[in-house]
Amino acid sequence: MKNGRWITQTESLTCLSEAAAIWKRDLKSEFRTRYAVNAILMFAFTTLIAVSFSIGAFRIEEAEKPFLDAVLLWIILVFSALSGLSRSFVKEEEAGTMDILKLSASPHAVFLGKLFFNLVLLGALEVIIVPFFVLLMGYDIKFPGYFWAMVVSAGLGLGTATTIVAAMIARASVRGALFSVLSFPLLLPLMITAIKGCERAAMGLNTAGWPEVKIAVAYTVIMTIVSIFLFPMIWEE
Amino acid sequence: MKEAIPFALNVRRLSKHFEETRLFEDISFSLVHGEVFAITGWNGSGKSTLLRIIAGLVRPSAGDIEMMSNDSVVSKDSRRKFIGLVAPALSLYDELTGLENMVFFHKVRGGNSDPSACLDVMRQVGLAGQEDKPCKDYSSGMKQRLKLAQALIHKPPLLLLDEPGSNLDNKGIKIVEDIICEQRKAGIILIASNEKREVDYADRILNLSE
Repeated sequence: MKNGRWITQTESLTCLSEAAAIWKRDLKSEFRTRYAVNAILMFAFTTLIAVSFSIGAFRIEEAEKPFLDAVLLWIILVFSALSGLSRSFVKEEEAGTMDILKLSASPHAVFLGKLFFNLVLLGALEVIIVPFFVLLMGYDIKFPGYFWAMVVSAGLGLGTATTIVAAMIARASVRGALFSVLSFPLLLPLMITAIKGCERAAMGLNTAGWPEVKIAVAYTVIMTIVSIFLFPMIWEE
Repeated sequence: MKEAIPFALNVRRLSKHFEETRLFEDISFSLVHGEVFAITGWNGSGKSTLLRIIAGLVRPSAGDIEMMSNDSVVSKDSRRKFIGLVAPALSLYDELTGLENMVFFHKVRGGNSDPSACLDVMRQVGLAGQEDKPCKDYSSGMKQRLKLAQALIHKPPLLLLDEPGSNLDNKGIKIVEDIICEQRKAGIILIASNEKREVDYADRILNLSE
């Protein structure tokens, strides 16, 4: 509902085409400046290499391996995401382009465009880091399908939560600290679920009903709906 | 039957305070299609803030703004489609070329991705031949011309010009004058400036220092 009337199909299509334009522009800008991708990948690779050298495939007891590998994987993914995903909004603020974007696009289109952009970054991070992690850590996964479903669904939740928090902190003076502080409590339930799900996939436990994947999908849906309602207020302040 | 006014702007009892500082108080005016209105005043008197409030970028402390298109009230959500703003504080995307900036603004304002309309406006502001240059390589005058172009791309009936002649050479100033003459036929223009040459175009003047 928007001002007491339902959003029509034409408005939704307009919003989606505006969002696509913002997403494409962000990708183009990112391709040229590598503003966020460098931060995310540098953090991810540094942590992955540090973890694989110090712990590696053989320093963990076989019985604890599924759980500890899942914990390490999600620590790397979440903190890499936290190091770069705020930049989609922070960059607009730093470059002084926030006002012109506000004047040009609807708040929902801006949120969706930035969300799509963050999801692409996060997808690239997962596609690059997860196989390296599996190789370097000797991560034995009994149910790869469930494992990847967990990685993708939790990634969607991670992207949505970090996008709305990034919008909130973009105008703050201590953005970096605030981003982590605000994101952490929001991401904790998702992280715990993702760790449990990856552990289940690695151990080959019963995956009937896809419990953790369902929780992650529900988290993503709730977070997306809440963000779509909240974002115009954050954006227009 | 009375003919509908294509576009009108009503500003009612607008005030803006920043904590203890009172920027302006109780400002009201109404403008109809074809009018040019100038806002003058000392530095810090609130000229740019008034334009930003009308553009919807800043909330007023009190008062309200109403836009009418063909005698129907324009909803707050749709206002941005009716407004073109040029201001020193606005920045463009430096990593994109001039044309890419224009195509982006055209698309997010409901236009198509065909660059011909963007090229026409760039030509109008004297940026022909500079389309493929990254914006970061533009001079300050060229950036000002590109700001003018992005404000015109969706043919808004309300053009808000904050110091439109800043950083422009004589040719650029002539372009601004031409735009003002053209826009007079297309809608309303508000100019915030202390430049006599720009203020002289106005039918009415509001001095915020008084």
